[in-house]
Amino acid sequence: MRNFAYHRPDTIAAAIDAARAEGAQVLAGGTTMVDLMKIGVFEPDALIDITALSELEGFEVGSDRIRFGALARMAEVGDDTKLSDAAPVLTEALWKAASPQLRHAARLGGNILQQTRCPYFRDTAYSQCNKRNPGSGCAALDGGETNLHAILGGSDACVAMYPGDWAQALVAFDAEVKTQGPGGSRTIPFADLHVLPGDTPEIETILKRGELVTGISVPVIPALKASHYLKARDRESYAFASASAAVGVEMEGENVRDARIAIGGVASVPWRAREAEEFLKDGPLTEETAREAGRIAFADARPLKGSEYKIKLGADVVAGALMTAKSRTTGGE
Amino acid sequence: MAQTINTAVTRTDAPRKVTGTATYAADVIPSGMLHGALATSSIAVGTLTGIDTKRAEAEPGVIAVFTHENLPDFKTVKGFYAGGPGSASFWPMEGNEIKYAGQPIAYVVAETAAAARRGSQLIDATYEVSEANAHMDAEDSFVIGASGDSKGMVTTKGDVSKGLAEAAQTIDVEYTTPFQHHNPMEMFSATAEWNGDKLTVWMPSQSVRTLRGGIAAAYGLPETSVRVICPFVGGAFGSKAGITPYAMLTIAASKAVAAPVRLIVTRPQMFTVATFRPESIQKFRLGADATGKLTAFEHIEISQTSQFDVVTNPGTHITRAMYASPNIHTEQRVARSDTNTGGFMRAPNEMQTFFGLEQAMDELALKVGVDPVEMRRVNDTKRHPVEDVPFSSRSLMECYDAVSDSFGWDQRSPEVGSMTDGDWLVGFGCATATYPTNILASNARVRMQGSGSAYIELAAHDVGTGSYTIFAQIAAARLGLPVEACDVVMGEADLPVAPLSGGSTTAASAGSAVHDACLRIGRAVAMEVTAQSEGPLAGVDPKLITLDNGVLRGPDGKSQPLLEALASTAAGEQEAVGEFRHPALTDKLIRATFAGGYGTAGPVTPEFAMFAFGAEMVEVHVNRWTHEIRVPRLHGAFAAGTILNRKTAHSQLMGGMVWGIGSALHEVTEVDKPRARYLNTNIAEYLVPVNADVREVRVEMLDEKDDYVNPLGVKGIGELGIVGTAAAIANAVHHATGKRLRKLPIRMSDLV
Repeated sequence: MRNFAYHRPDTIAAAIDAARAEGAQVLAGGTTMVDLMKIGVFEPDALIDITALSELEGFEVGSDRIRFGALARMAEVGDDTKLSDAAPVLTEALWKAASPQLRHAARLGGNILQQTRCPYFRDTAYSQCNKRNPGSGCAALDGGETNLHAILGGSDACVAMYPGDWAQALVAFDAEVKTQGPGGSRTIPFADLHVLPGDTPEIETILKRGELVTGISVPVIPALKASHYLKARDRESYAFASASAAVGVEMEGENVRDARIAIGGVASVPWRAREAEEFLKDGPLTEETAREAGRIAFADARPLKGSEYKIKLGADVVAGALMTAKSRTTGGE
Repeated sequence: MAQTINTAVTRTDAPRKVTGTATYAADVIPSGMLHGALATSSIAVGTLTGIDTKRAEAEPGVIAVFTHENLPDFKTVKGFYAGGPGSASFWPMEGNEIKYAGQPIAYVVAETAAAARRGSQLIDATYEVSEANAHMDAEDSFVIGASGDSKGMVTTKGDVSKGLAEAAQTIDVEYTTPFQHHNPMEMFSATAEWNGDKLTVWMPSQSVRTLRGGIAAAYGLPETSVRVICPFVGGAFGSKAGITPYAMLTIAASKAVAAPVRLIVTRPQMFTVATFRPESIQKFRLGADATGKLTAFEHIEISQTSQFDVVTNPGTHITRAMYASPNIHTEQRVARSDTNTGGFMRAPNEMQTFFGLEQAMDELALKVGVDPVEMRRVNDTKRHPVEDVPFSSRSLMECYDAVSDSFGWDQRSPEVGSMTDGDWLVGFGCATATYPTNILASNARVRMQGSGSAYIELAAHDVGTGSYTIFAQIAAARLGLPVEACDVVMGEADLPVAPLSGGSTTAASAGSAVHDACLRIGRAVAMEVTAQSEGPLAGVDPKLITLDNGVLRGPDGKSQPLLEALASTAAGEQEAVGEFRHPALTDKLIRATFAGGYGTAGPVTPEFAMFAFGAEMVEVHVNRWTHEIRVPRLHGAFAAGTILNRKTAHSQLMGGMVWGIGSALHEVTEVDKPRARYLNTNIAEYLVPVNADVREVRVEMLDEKDDYVNPLGVKGIGELGIVGTAAAIANAVHHATGKRLRKLPIRMSDLV
């Protein structure tokens, strides 16, 4: 690991000031940052540890919005029974992420900014990685068969997959991200936070230098109550999703009034499947329509060798998640 | 005295392990110790055209950087498969040749581990890159034995073509197994300290004597000048047997910088600097009559090997021992590719071959239309099918009967896809396990004191298996002492000779030497007390006295507790060196073991074939939405002679079965094909089972008596548990889904 300066400011203003410096990186739980520093992928000049900013801790389950501080821990949020009652998708997606140790260390603000697990990004022995080394190429495109490449949203420059779980729930339910930076505060729709790799995969979000995520909020809507996060993975715990779905439904009689679908383990960024949602609206939710919605969600998929199976797997996972969500609606099975 | 053998005794070292006071090799910090770190090659095959160490040398704390250009006094040894003690025959940093990705190219010594690691990231290397393939090409395979010829690598009995022609049903199928890499909890490490011409090495090892002998020979030192110490090992499973380049580099670096140096290999480097399970292809052609009885048995194994060694772990020698058939043909083949040399990984000959064999038997049973258990029953044999000697004991079908009862095999509806549980498809599968009983020479020294304690000393190892405990149990039983009064000292090359801990041999071979030492103590004490003028045994012919669970027994009901007899002797203390020399051990084999090698007799001797057996049954669930494969129940019944400790043996067998779940469903080293480099060199993405994957695992240990294998009647159990698991799971997946998956691991991607 390269030597670095370490700062632990005690005000948000001081943190922003320190984080805006060239070569500075923000540190919260450190579960991704420290890992990547050890293997030489990140070599910051300075780490700005924001864990002294206690005003960014905690979370609140309100009647109109659910608000999370950026420093709330994955574990405390995932364990909250009031939240799991109001919005099961939000606790399930946290529960199924990482390991208990990691969930106790990791903070929500860092979780949504989690780095890809693409092996070509993580192993500096590969000279080609446009994300790590802009302009060097992409070794993944002619590489081995792995589960770790995006089949949605990738470009000729980068097929790195966004690996997180919770972000799928946030993007499905129109979450917003609050930030503070050198230019002041702003509120960003979660769906706009991450950007597609395009020709510039090194740019992952719209956050500006020195801009801190301070909070995340989710509007309370009926579909949140009948929501579910389904994660398919080769082992029962501590594995990234081969495919996952964050869904919620609101029924009106036999028909779907509102459907929310986001898919994980398959895309470059947190991925909302709006066309699949539209397909379900105002129609019945049956196993057949749920499977069709799953197929629609993957209509534009471009798999690499070894990830072709994810089109079918992902569709089945969406369908399975929808059936569970339906069972959680009033009058559901 | 209570019986101590065949009971459940808690590990004597458990308190030390759970309180962190057990001293593992890397826990030792010699005064003035510096830290080593490896830099490794980013390419797989080619030439190192330049290596610039300036940035590394400028890093604060870095003391020295060694490359092939400046590494002084670097010694090498012959690889294991070339008859030496090394993990491979090719030694990196002797020159500028690169033969596999992740090959060491530089060794950094620094004041702190962090500085050494950072230094290793700052080595700038340039290469001329050649084409490389990590995967073998089976078309280029060849038959060859370890000795450089094909002797013993091909078996032919009868005529397989004729047997196939006569069969009612045949199968001709191929199974593949992937590269798997060792990931023991305890990282690979080496610490070296020179004191003039004396060298001490602390290193986790399955064979301290192999290390000492090899290192001493390489440096031209008498063995008495080299100490190798490792009282505890945090998992070895075959990965810590040979002398590795990282060990020799640490020894050389320590000498060059004139200070002790410790190297802890990083997790990603653990995938390339030591041995692993090579990928393999298992080809089977089987024929059976209408009752399932085999008419033909052909198994060809093609196993991957490096460009510079020929790894021959002959799995066909094990499969051919399993089932009766009039016509048998087996071939052991290898194919080369651009990796480091593979080697031993828990059940090195059996895990991959039985994944093939036991699925092939299932496939054939289905074709013939007999129950999979009956398929094994009609082909069971009390004689070795090729060598024509009887098995010293073989309780395979007793194992099947026991596990069928505990598992409820009769609840299985034979039709594929006919069982469900909510959103889950349910399948039951079974498979046979076996492991050869290998026999090695061993010594052990036991000193019994009149105060009621005993010291047991031998250069064996507790690789996490419970050896400390079982040796104490053996001595306690023989000498009539409590287990806790028997203190076992191991893990040092200077102790009495004991064999390499591999191939499930320690309990049987080294344990028999402990047993023998105790009997010798009994005889020596008997000599003295019978010569005394008074006492219960005074005047008795000492030849008529036997040691029976701590009591010296003579004719006419005369007896005396050993401890009481010992206390009455002149010294009040007795020491003896015990020996285990099975009649099947030739002088050549004994000498090989004494020289630090693996001089094994068996599993087939001129008189008997010696194997432990087991049967495993598994319930598999496959989710209809996610296609996830889960294993709610895994049962095994095993017969392996005397079970010394029902607790540690249970753990061993269960551990093997759990690893079998991993082999079946999780483990695979993924390869970047164009660059012949491993992709998932971390334990987030190199999947092994977590607790949530392991639900009900039931282990039953049958009573089995075998007087031939050794005086204790012990067969090995360390590897037995893993052998049948992967095939049983594959068979259950087929039963649940109708999909026959002839490759490992079996993933949800195979079932969508």
